[in-house]
Amino acid sequence: MISLHNISKSFGAFAALHNIDLAVRDGEFLALLGPSGSGKTTLLRIIAGLAFPDEGEVRFNGEDVTELPVAERKVGFVFQQYALFRHMSVLDNVSFGLSVRPRRRRPSKAKVRARARELLDLVQLDGLGDRYPAQLSGGQQQRVALARALAVEPQLLLLDEPFGALDAKVRKELRRWLRQLHEQMGLTSIFVTHDQEEALELADRVVVLDRGVIEQIGTPEDVYMTPTSGFVSGFVGDCNSLPVQVRAHRAHFEGVVLDVPVARAFDGPGRLDFRPHDIALSVDGGGLPLQVRGVYRRGGHWRVEGTVNGSQRIVEIDLDADQAPPQIGSELAFRITRARVFREQEAV
Amino acid sequence: MSAPSLPGDAPSVRLGLILVAVLFIGFFLVLPLVAVFAQALAKGLAAYGAAIIEPDAVAAIKLTLLVAAISVPLNVVFGVCAAWAVAKFDFRGKSILVTLIDLPFSVSPVVAGLVYVLLFGAQGWFGPWLMEHGVRIIFAVPGLVLATILVTFPFVARELIPLMQEQGRADEEAALALGASGFRTFLRVTLPNIKWGLLYGVLLCNARAMGEFGAVSVVSGHLRGLTNTVPLHVEILYNEYNFAAAFAVASLLALLALVTLVLKTSLEWKFGYSHRSAR
Repeated sequence: MISLHNISKSFGAFAALHNIDLAVRDGEFLALLGPSGSGKTTLLRIIAGLAFPDEGEVRFNGEDVTELPVAERKVGFVFQQYALFRHMSVLDNVSFGLSVRPRRRRPSKAKVRARARELLDLVQLDGLGDRYPAQLSGGQQQRVALARALAVEPQLLLLDEPFGALDAKVRKELRRWLRQLHEQMGLTSIFVTHDQEEALELADRVVVLDRGVIEQIGTPEDVYMTPTSGFVSGFVGDCNSLPVQVRAHRAHFEGVVLDVPVARAFDGPGRLDFRPHDIALSVDGGGLPLQVRGVYRRGGHWRVEGTVNGSQRIVEIDLDADQAPPQIGSELAFRITRARVFREQEAV
Repeated sequence: MSAPSLPGDAPSVRLGLILVAVLFIGFFLVLPLVAVFAQALAKGLAAYGAAIIEPDAVAAIKLTLLVAAISVPLNVVFGVCAAWAVAKFDFRGKSILVTLIDLPFSVSPVVAGLVYVLLFGAQGWFGPWLMEHGVRIIFAVPGLVLATILVTFPFVARELIPLMQEQGRADEEAALALGASGFRTFLRVTLPNIKWGLLYGVLLCNARAMGEFGAVSVVSGHLRGLTNTVPLHVEILYNEYNFAAAFAVASLLALLALVTLVLKTSLEWKFGYSHRSAR
């Protein structure tokens, strides 16, 4: 088990991480999700031993490894741009980790090659061992980077934006494949991403970071359905925000009472967040009026964009694509069926 | 579409610019180069050969090779270290270090030579102590090497810093993460990544080391057959109105320049290594 205790790190005056506590379970697939500058990559590098915290402790299975350099932590690290050795063949790249071992622990040349070939099989690149990295596609390079990292038999696999440089279709395939590999090899994996969709799809648990602080840790379902902060609510998934006044468990938006329950007990200004799909068209004349400005298809739904209640505030709602799309310029009325309300000062 | 919209597009302007460049290069570079060889061979091949195998000339050539053989490797080591430090680490005073590396480009070589006379000369700071212990630096080979190192040390570092900065640290980090030691990482990852840039830097460094005049002139003392390098030997011959011999020896330096140029160009052509870029 990997655990982080009270980790802080600054670069000059910039506080990259602030009092991070995190426990990663064995066999878990964990996502570090956040916008750029949130500290997620720094955190990953601290876990790897490529960066060192100013304060706090990193423990692997209870053992303090905070001062241990990367070479001694036995982790596999896949870099954002793969960092393949461009002057070495694919096979040599994959063999590298085994071939640089101290003589005593180094397998024979033949064994190293055989192991590298096995790994290339595993990442479905058999037969490409003699190529050079520049001769491979992005997805193939990614797999070589993975095979190279796995060659040293790490318990922990760390991936920095593993799919960032790939096009959408390859990305989807690779995600599925990586998840499978993770199960198959019994790894513990941590990956960094700024793409919430990727985190929600792939991870067992998601750690949402913002400005060097952990905002929420939870399953994808938790993080999406019950975000605990305004930041998480706005960052994970599509989200509409309305400024509201809360009085007696009711939210008021520009004088309209929204008939959605407010679970939290506070009175005063707040922000109401709802997903585009958490609405229902209202047929009895009540609800919020929406002036339709644009409509496009989003899978099985119409994504309807419009201004709400005659203001300039834009919201997006999803309508069933079985129905005809609403006309641009027409007016609808909708009710919010599920929402979260945050105090104004929390909602920044 | 076809009408030129910028003055630069007009054929007359383009032709004019090309002409200016060609004339300029022809007058300032090609003509003198031709003149060197013409003068060198003015008294025939026999005289040319004699001037080159004359004992003082041979001694000068040997000395030049020796000085280059010492100072170039030292500057390779220094250049790689400096470039590594600047490109891969963040530390206080980094910009000062980069500026200092450029100093030899901006300071007159005469000053570079005088500095060593000031330090190690008979009247210099360490002069008396050195004299007591029988160590000669000024008017001897060590002085020539020191002056040459000072003048040529930016070449390798300057070549490598942008290259290594562009390549970043990810490759090295990947090697370390795979369990490689720092030294192995350097040998197997860093060095192959920079080898063409390094070779290019070595080539320029060597050309300058062999051709340096000013700094070396100050510390040499012009002892014939002892502390005269090729450029200094050329000057002596010239001052003695021995033009044919002077130009014959000078033609060796010109030849060195041409060989350097050819090697450099073929490197660029063969490996697609273009100045200031990694791949």
